[in-house]
Amino acid sequence: MGDSQYSFSLTTFSPSGKLVQIEHALQAVGSGQTSLGIKAANGVVVATEKKLPSILVDETSVQKIQLMTPNIGVVYSGMGPDSRVLVRKSRKQAQQYFRLYKEPIPITQLVRETAAVMQEFTQSGGVRPFGVSLLIAGYDDNGPQLYQVDPSGSYFSWKASAMGKNVSNAKTFLEKRYTEDMELEDAIHTAILTLKEGFEGQISGKNIEIGIIGADRKFRVLSSSEIDDYLAEVE
Amino acid sequence: MSRGTGAGYDRHITIFSPEGRLYQVEYAFKAVKAAGVTSIGVRGKDSVCVVTQKKVPDKLLDQTSVTHLFPITKYLGLLATGMTADARSLVSQARNEAAEFRFKWGYEMPVDVLSKWIADKAQVYTQHAYMRPLGVASMVLGIDEEKGPQLFKCDPAGHFFGHKATSAGLKEQEAINFLEKKMKNDPAFSYDETVQTAISALQSVLQEDFKATEIEVGVVTEKDPVFIVLSTEEIDEHLTAISERD
Repeated sequence: MGDSQYSFSLTTFSPSGKLVQIEHALQAVGSGQTSLGIKAANGVVVATEKKLPSILVDETSVQKIQLMTPNIGVVYSGMGPDSRVLVRKSRKQAQQYFRLYKEPIPITQLVRETAAVMQEFTQSGGVRPFGVSLLIAGYDDNGPQLYQVDPSGSYFSWKASAMGKNVSNAKTFLEKRYTEDMELEDAIHTAILTLKEGFEGQISGKNIEIGIIGADRKFRVLSSSEIDDYLAEVE
Repeated sequence: MSRGTGAGYDRHITIFSPEGRLYQVEYAFKAVKAAGVTSIGVRGKDSVCVVTQKKVPDKLLDQTSVTHLFPITKYLGLLATGMTADARSLVSQARNEAAEFRFKWGYEMPVDVLSKWIADKAQVYTQHAYMRPLGVASMVLGIDEEKGPQLFKCDPAGHFFGHKATSAGLKEQEAINFLEKKMKNDPAFSYDETVQTAISALQSVLQEDFKATEIEVGVVTEKDPVFIVLSTEEIDEHLTAISERD
C-alpha cells in the first residue's frame, strides 16, 4: 500500500518524538459523537449517539453500529466515512479466514488485523491516519469480549469503555457503575444511563443506537421501539 | 508543538490539522458553494423530485448542453451541485459502476448502493494525498424495489444519508430551514405536490420567480420508475400551478 507519487510518509516524527498526525486524528475522534461499550458476564453491549444534521434526514437510512461477522459488531466515534473503509476491510478479512479454516474468526484475530490496517495508514506513503476509534464487541469460544482500537493501531481489551465528546464523564460514570458479574440486561440499562448523562436534548429510540450480543453469539442492533422500551424502564 | 505538522501542509493536502480537521475537505465544501447554484431534492409518497438552477453565463452558449442532471441508468438519476468538471468525472465513473453491477448481479443497482459507492470514493480522496476531494455534492434519486422512493445526498467528505428533503449549494442552509418547516409533520406528498414543493422552495430561497428555462427538474415516480428530465412545457405547467396557488 502507498501512493506512488507520494513514496514518503505524511506521518513523521516531531523533534520531541511524537507522531503529530496521530494526535490530530485523536482530536478528530474526541470531537465525534459519544459511543461506549460494556462487557457483561453473559454478553456485550455497545451504544452510540445518533445525532443527525437535520430532521429532514431519514434516520432509517443510517446505521452506525455495523456487523463485521454474525458474532462480531463494531461502533465508532469520529469520522463516519473512515469507519466504512475499516468495516469493509475487516469483513473481507473475516471472510478470508473463514474460507481458509472453515471456522468463524476469533475476535482477537479480527481486532489484530483491523488494528494492523490502521497502523499501516500511519506509516505508508501518501495517506493519513484514520480519524476513528473503534469499539469491537463479540462473543466467541473465549466468551464475551470488548476491544477498543485507536487511530494509531493500538488496541486493548476493556471491561467497559467510552469514546468521543463525552469520554471523561462517561468513563467516570462507567467506573462507578461497572461490576464484574453484571448481566447483559443490567449492562444495557447502564449503557443507556451513561449516554443519557451527557446527552443534549431529548433522548429517544431515534437518536441513539444500541447493539447487543449474548450467549446466542448473534450480534444484533436493537430497533428504535426496543430502545424506547428500555428507556421507559430506565426512567 | 505548533511546528509539528511539518511546514503546515495541512491546508494543501488531506492530512489532519491540530484540531483534528481536514482543511482540504472543508475547502471542497466551499467549492460546492462557489459554483453559485442551489439545488433542492424532495421525496414524496410515491415519487422523488430534484430541482436546480440553470445558469447559462453566455447567450452564445448552447443551452441544451448546460446541465447538472445526469441519468446514471434508466432508473437512477444524479443531480450534481458544484464543479461541473468534477461532476462529469464522477458521473462517468458512476455510470460504469452501475452498468457493471447490473451485469455482474443481474439486477439494477439500488439507490443506496450507488450512493454508498459514491461516498466511499469520496472518502478515498479524503485519505489519500495523491487525489484532492471532488468539489461536488451529489443527490441520487430512484425508486427502490423494497423501500419505495429514495433520495440520497453524498458530499465531498464521504458522508451519505437518505433524505426526506434536502438541499445543496449556495443557499443550502436557507433551503433546509424552509424544507424543515414544510416537512415537519411527515407529509406524504403526491407527485404534483412533491414537484411544486421543490420548485417553490427554490423560488422562496432565491427570492425570484423562475421562467421554465431557468431551472432543471428531474423526477422518478413509482408508477413509471424511470428517471425523467422534465421538458420546459411540463415545468411551465408546474410553475403556473404554483403561481395560481399563491
